[in-house]
Amino acid sequence: MRKPGGYSIIVEPDKADLEEDTFTCGHCCKVVFVKPLCDPAEMGGRCTCCDKLICKYCVGKGCDPLEKKLLRWEAAGRLREAMRSE
Amino acid sequence: MARYSINNRMAGSQQALAATLKSQVSLTAVTATLCRGQIVELAYGADGAPNATDCQIVYDAARQTTVGTGTSATPNLENPADVASRSLGTVNYTVEPTVTGGTAFVGSIWSRTLNQRAAQQWFANPGSELVWPATNVNGIVIRALSPTYTSNVLVDVKYDDF
Repeated sequence: MRKPGGYSIIVEPDKADLEEDTFTCGHCCKVVFVKPLCDPAEMGGRCTCCDKLICKYCVGKGCDPLEKKLLRWEAAGRLREAMRSE
Repeated sequence: MARYSINNRMAGSQQALAATLKSQVSLTAVTATLCRGQIVELAYGADGAPNATDCQIVYDAARQTTVGTGTSATPNLENPADVASRSLGTVNYTVEPTVTGGTAFVGSIWSRTLNQRAAQQWFANPGSELVWPATNVNGIVIRALSPTYTSNVLVDVKYDDF
């Protein structure tokens, strides 16, 4: 994979080490393990809006980048804290 | 950005695996020192004698939204010149925390099945880390289960506060 998002290695006795490239979904943060020579469609795709690699579960669900999700969660958390302190 | 490491041998007693997910290590934000964090490296594997019957161990990472009951562990600084971690490290849970998606793997952001004799390491390149929000008790928990292997696993996590 060109420009992988990560690297994974599995070691097991009596077996060859299994090395895989990974990428992290730009929408849900799920880590996808890329099998050598696999069909790109099997892994997910690239969001045409935020230009990030996304997992197959996020394909076709619109663009909702992780950063926006984090901001939403943080805003909800601040609201909860404010309501609790009143 | 400071880097820290934590594992479930650092505090408390390791909890033997069962057929349901057992939380091993979690990293969460705390109100007093609120900040985001990101996991940059994960390493895990069995930490006990293998079962006579060859079997699997399932590892999982999920987003945590409430604290369960575990032992608080002080993360190690990768660089001694850095300040102490602003995130809370909890290990060896005895009461499971609430995670997004419930106890199943619905909200899992990482799930992997390995043979009981296997171990895995994962390194994130910049921009591909597992990020948690700066919201109290929200974070990421690493869990494991095995229907057959009933000993311990060791989970080691490297992460950044930012």
